[in-house]
Amino acid sequence: MSNLVIETQKVFKTYDGVVPVHAVKGVDLQIKDDEFTAIIGPSGSGKTTLLNIIGGLDRPSSGSVKINGKELNNLSENELIQFRLKHIGFVFQSYNLIPVLTAKENTEFIMLLQKVAKKERDERVLKLLEEVGLKDKINNKPSQLSGGQQQRVAVARALASRPDFVLADEPTANLDSKSTTTLLDIMSRLNKEEGITFIFSTHDQRVIDRARRVITLEDGQIVSDVYQNQ
Amino acid sequence: MLLKIAWKNIWRNSTRSLVVIIAVALGLWAGVFASAFVKGMMKKKIENVIKLEMSDFQIHQPQFRDEFLPKLFISNEDSIRKNINLENGVIASSGRIISNAMIATSKKSGAAKIVGINPENEALVTGLDEHLLEGNFFSKSKRNPILLSKDLAEDYKLKLRSKIILTLQDLEGEIISVSFRVVGIYETENSLFDKLNLFVKQEDLRRAMNIPENSVHEIAVALNDHDLAEPLAEKYQKEYSNLEVKAWLDLATGMRFMVEAMDVYLFYIVGIILLALLFSILNTMLMAVLERVREIGMLMAVGMTKSQIFSMIMLETVMLALIGGPVGLLLSYAFVNYFGEQGINLSGAGYDQAGFAPMVHPYLDSISYLQVAIMVIVMAIVAAIYPARKALKLRPVEAIRKI
Repeated sequence: MSNLVIETQKVFKTYDGVVPVHAVKGVDLQIKDDEFTAIIGPSGSGKTTLLNIIGGLDRPSSGSVKINGKELNNLSENELIQFRLKHIGFVFQSYNLIPVLTAKENTEFIMLLQKVAKKERDERVLKLLEEVGLKDKINNKPSQLSGGQQQRVAVARALASRPDFVLADEPTANLDSKSTTTLLDIMSRLNKEEGITFIFSTHDQRVIDRARRVITLEDGQIVSDVYQNQ
Repeated sequence: MLLKIAWKNIWRNSTRSLVVIIAVALGLWAGVFASAFVKGMMKKKIENVIKLEMSDFQIHQPQFRDEFLPKLFISNEDSIRKNINLENGVIASSGRIISNAMIATSKKSGAAKIVGINPENEALVTGLDEHLLEGNFFSKSKRNPILLSKDLAEDYKLKLRSKIILTLQDLEGEIISVSFRVVGIYETENSLFDKLNLFVKQEDLRRAMNIPENSVHEIAVALNDHDLAEPLAEKYQKEYSNLEVKAWLDLATGMRFMVEAMDVYLFYIVGIILLALLFSILNTMLMAVLERVREIGMLMAVGMTKSQIFSMIMLETVMLALIGGPVGLLLSYAFVNYFGEQGINLSGAGYDQAGFAPMVHPYLDSISYLQVAIMVIVMAIVAAIYPARKALKLRPVEAIRKI
């Protein structure tokens, strides 16, 4: 039986300004482990804000966000950093690898922050880069990799910390068709074979087609929540 | 991990980092060399002042240095000198009879200070004989021989064997005139000293001024360690409480002021250089942080703590200084050593007119190198604080805009 990984209750997020912007309005959401979920919606619908809140990068104006039963609102700034380090993997639209480090070092970086022993780090980095098909690029720096390869390193980095789930913001937005397919194949396989939970925000129909659950946001509210490909 | 990332980060933009490293190296070199130059100049000046003018300490009647009267003499020169010469660290001592006088030649007249010396003792204390250009150092028994400087000789159009008339006051206050004959011409590196001092044999001046035997106006003592000057002056002041015993720094009050003023001057020079370097590093690091806003946001997002981000930026800055610093120190060391040996000739720049030697040998002790190195590291740390704090203020969600 699947466990509840993410649970939000009546989450609101308002950005103050001359005209306050209500980015998220009362979102109730439950995501279980093993899910391969896409959050879609037009620009300004609140996808990114919701992902930021789920990822502990932003705090809601009101409402509750629980990850594995832990209320994020109760955590201090430093506790939140530690929480993200241990429980959440991030994949960014523009890869955001550290340009001066190699693929191996970028993947290893999170484990260094977690103070994982060297032997374990080496083994896991090799395994992860092999899983994303970059074993032969282990010593390449980001500038020596294609966009698709960089994003695969970013996936390996996100998984290195053994997170409870991976949040990916439009991971295929900057990729060509072939790289997108390769990346989706890798993530889909990791989800099915290793039970890793992926949550995407995306506009990409190819991602939406591969997702098993599609949540649609409009004006900060969930307007549809559909399971597919079951 | 932080060390490795910081090290790699500084080579992202190698040109910019190299510019900073070179700036640190050159700034440090300039600061250290300027310090060494001034310290070398002061060291030489102090050595000259001690050697030629003041010795390590002097003994007088208490009012002598103010009133300069012939009657203010020390009457037991032999016993005092014998006692002092037994002291550890004393090289030699010399008694002097001193008077102000008018010089008159067939061409010109003017004022000067006449010093009646015992040539053997004076050679040991001041090494005046080493500065002789022509003639002899009172070695030939001529009547009323006088030694004067090259500057005075040129000024008064005198040469060896020229006659010179000195008008001075004797012990009773009577004005007397005595004829001397030039037997030697000397030149030191201090033209102020040269223009003021004429040397005659002590017994000639004693006879002319009617000063009693075994009596002098001044006893000058040379030590093998200048640091002993003050404690020994204090010691002998207690022993000869009716006399005035003063170390060189208290005799040459202008020197004390000059030493202190030079320290302040150096402080400002090095301070200005370090301040310029500080802003150069601050600017570079601020650029480096602002260029990496997105990346720093990502680092925070994935779990790098604020203290780790802060340390990373600080390490990058300190590393830049730690590369430039040793290069600058080595450069300085090479320059200071080379010019310390060869000297820098400033003849014609007028330094000798101010009592400084025209040949400057830059000099800096190892403690000063260490002090400068520490100052550079502290400066780098201070320069890093603002960019590092700037990085800390970034919020990951704003820095990367999207997760």
